[in-house]
Amino acid sequence: MESHPSADDTRRRPAIRLAPSAAEDTVIEARGLVKRYGSLIAVDDLSFTVSAGEIFGLLGPNGAGKTTTLEMLEGLRTPDAGDAVVLGQSVVRYARRIKERIGVQLQATALPDKTTVAEAIDLFGAFYTHRRPTGELLTQFGLTEKAEAMTESLSGGQMQRLSIALALVNDPDLVFLDEPTTGLDPQARLNLWDVIERIRAQGKTVILTTHYMEEAERLCDRLAVIDQGRIIALDTPPGLITAHAPGVSIEFETTTPDLVVLQAILGVDGAEVNGDRIILHTTAPERVLARLFDPTGPAPSIRDLRVRQGTLEDVFITLTGRRLRP
Amino acid sequence: MNGFLAIVRSVVRTSRRERTALFFTLLLPIFFMAIFGFIFSGSAPALKIGVVDQSHSRASARLITLLKAQKGLDVEVGTQAHELDRLKHDNVVLVTVIPTGFATAVRARSVRRPAVVTSYDDRNQPQSAALAQSAVSQIVTAFAQRASGQRPRVVIRAQSVNTNNVTTLDFYLPSMIAYIVLIAGIQTVAIGLVDLRERKVLRRFLATPLSAMQILGGQIVGRAVSVILQVIVLIVVGVVFFRAHVNGNWALAWLAILMGIACFVSIGFLITGFTRTSESARGIASAIGFPMMFLSGVFIPLDQLPSALQTAVHVLPLTYLSDALHHILNDNEGLSAIWTDLVVMLGWALACFTLATRRFRWE
Repeated sequence: MESHPSADDTRRRPAIRLAPSAAEDTVIEARGLVKRYGSLIAVDDLSFTVSAGEIFGLLGPNGAGKTTTLEMLEGLRTPDAGDAVVLGQSVVRYARRIKERIGVQLQATALPDKTTVAEAIDLFGAFYTHRRPTGELLTQFGLTEKAEAMTESLSGGQMQRLSIALALVNDPDLVFLDEPTTGLDPQARLNLWDVIERIRAQGKTVILTTHYMEEAERLCDRLAVIDQGRIIALDTPPGLITAHAPGVSIEFETTTPDLVVLQAILGVDGAEVNGDRIILHTTAPERVLARLFDPTGPAPSIRDLRVRQGTLEDVFITLTGRRLRP
Repeated sequence: MNGFLAIVRSVVRTSRRERTALFFTLLLPIFFMAIFGFIFSGSAPALKIGVVDQSHSRASARLITLLKAQKGLDVEVGTQAHELDRLKHDNVVLVTVIPTGFATAVRARSVRRPAVVTSYDDRNQPQSAALAQSAVSQIVTAFAQRASGQRPRVVIRAQSVNTNNVTTLDFYLPSMIAYIVLIAGIQTVAIGLVDLRERKVLRRFLATPLSAMQILGGQIVGRAVSVILQVIVLIVVGVVFFRAHVNGNWALAWLAILMGIACFVSIGFLITGFTRTSESARGIASAIGFPMMFLSGVFIPLDQLPSALQTAVHVLPLTYLSDALHHILNDNEGLSAIWTDLVVMLGWALACFTLATRRFRWE
């Protein structure tokens, strides 16, 4: 009972002073967060800032420390070292005040049994001094028709929407979403991406975790790539790709596959054959494509050409040598 | 405070909607009352009764022979003073007096002046006494019919020693209240709270501004309220539907019931500190609840338990709840008769609750 930090505890820990450079629009400033479970270091000296109005993502494989990081920022777990200033206050010292102003969606949340959607919203609304009307939230998340339905009868997508509605019941400035689309079918996932983008459009800051690179690319303004409790890269998604997976691969079929000739094209870094298809790797796709389509060029009859950009998956492989999702 | 009340309300509403669980919790005690209220007949264990023969006639000798021949009755004959003394010391559960003039009255076949057999029973063992009384009544009635034609010329006057007349059903209503408090009290917290923790609902509550006290307090109070509602349903069914007679003071009875709920809810809370899954919580709750049920005089009369178990009997909190409820509802006694019961239950509640708050983990 004594181990969790829900009340504003007065453990003596130096509060972080905001650096003078930290502008008013810094919503989260994490400084040297550490969390250990026995001998395992789940979060290893993590520092980053999140600005107002952005969707900030934590991308990494399962067990990378994403959830633990979020839970420390939410005031659910006390860091073993470090602190974070969330909405201007130390999360170690003022967890309860911060909880009043943030919205939280936990991974795989369940709700009490035999509770309707409207009752669940009312229940969580009663926990805050300031709350949004139930009807408004039902409308915003497309749950009006399900208001009287028991929560256990909802589909996965509806349940996730309810779970996000509950995170917004106190009209928070900052919303934490822990793997909001895990386990959803593609349709429900697209729907939820819209929901999350609308939250940003309302001027709120969102911090989310995911291990889906498409999700991170589509939603996140900035992204911290996390592996084994450490941030290994932090930038906008295009920035990460430019820095760590700048290459483009050009794939096509041709009647006269001559690898030696193709490899000799100026700008081609490598060439390979995959079945009927040729794959060329390059960082100068314009130059290579111009040469390929030259009628006097080395591959006169090109069919079914595809150009593939580097992805966050490639970024992760470059940085760690492993795939994001095994 | 708002958040706390919202949790209490939500817990009560949720448990009210758990129709299946409610049905099965209430089914057994109601079924039990139905059996003892309507269908009961016969007796299982040998019951010791004392017979005082003041008639010293052939008729009384025949009646005594019949009583002795009855299976399940262990009859001894003695003087009234001796037998009543044995009754006081719980050596017999019932004393039947065959008065002077019994033979004449039987022979006279007079309707106006029937032969009267008086029985004294033991208020400490009302259910055993009721069983013995029922057996003696049947034998005496049968004897009278045989001796005198069709009409019974013998009237049995049942008389309790220092107590009110309590039927078997009346006796079982307090027992069943104790049963519900035990089962619902232990299970609702142990299983309910562990289930919420397992499914991370408690963790979700912790992510709100609510304090740990508000969350746990709301859960425990809400579940205690749902036990109170179940007790009310049981009492209404027992009193209105089965017409159980209640002699005592309801306010005092509720004092004992609330103390019992505090006690068993605390035991349920303590279980949450020793288990991770709601399945194992269910197992532990049953492992604690069922033996207690049988060792606390709720189903099996205490006087019929082997003496080796008597120590256990006097440690278990259910014994005290059951005892208090019988004193109040059957014997119409006051606070003085139950205060030790209340103190023992309070002790159990405080000890378990304190230990539970130390053992409790949020995940």
